[in-house]
Amino acid sequence: MKELIEAIAKALVDNPDQVQVRTVEGEQVTVLELRVHPSDLGKVIGKQGRTARSIRTILGAAGMKLKKRFTLEILE
Amino acid sequence: MGSEAAQPASQDRPPARELESYRAPIEALLNTIIARGGFQLSFTMRRLTSPEADLEAPELVVDFSGPDSDLLVEANGELLNALEYIVLKAVRLEEELFTKITFDCHQFRRLRREELKLMAQVAADRALESGAPFPLERLTARERRIVHLALRERSDVRTESQGYGAERRLVIIPAALGRNSAGPDRR
Repeated sequence: MKELIEAIAKALVDNPDQVQVRTVEGEQVTVLELRVHPSDLGKVIGKQGRTARSIRTILGAAGMKLKKRFTLEILE
Repeated sequence: MGSEAAQPASQDRPPARELESYRAPIEALLNTIIARGGFQLSFTMRRLTSPEADLEAPELVVDFSGPDSDLLVEANGELLNALEYIVLKAVRLEEELFTKITFDCHQFRRLRREELKLMAQVAADRALESGAPFPLERLTARERRIVHLALRERSDVRTESQGYGAERRLVIIPAALGRNSAGPDRR
């Protein structure tokens, strides 16, 4: 799932080499922490958070297929 | 090397040609997302040469099929819309052109449009019966536009979108209530 978020984030930002995703496994839920270059934050969040919401929708659907819950944290 | 190929008989109009250049990057990113997300989906892309009788007039359709089609269209196409938005953003399509490329799955767009038109008429009648503004469920900008257009011909109601971002709602207002509302920007 890390690879999915990495691919999406890299496609959205201007500095793909600065994209980092860390997986934090919890009991109920796996947290994916996304870090991008500060100037790219807007690119992964979007107007009124629309881009972030869309990424979360895709992540949620992919997680559903694995019967696991994932959440996306975008770190500043 | 020297022989220049003859000019093709038909030349694309410039905007059409430009749209075509998004095809390869869309395909590449979708293949990556489908593979890494473990989605059982495949897609084809087709050009609509004469835009179908459709106000949105998309010119390029990305059509999905496969075992995960249901996942795409559930919750009013939430995943389909999310994929469309992310992919079109990622390939750097200008937002004014977002309506030119549409993601679809088993006629979802057409069926949803018909559903919205019907919903618009029913909600308009409901607003008239109650004599009060009738807010619709949350819709996307594209869906609101369909409802606005569906009710444009009716003189007994008017439509307005209120609120911002994901919370923006389309409200149907009986014409008798007059026009003194806060944010009359139509979308």
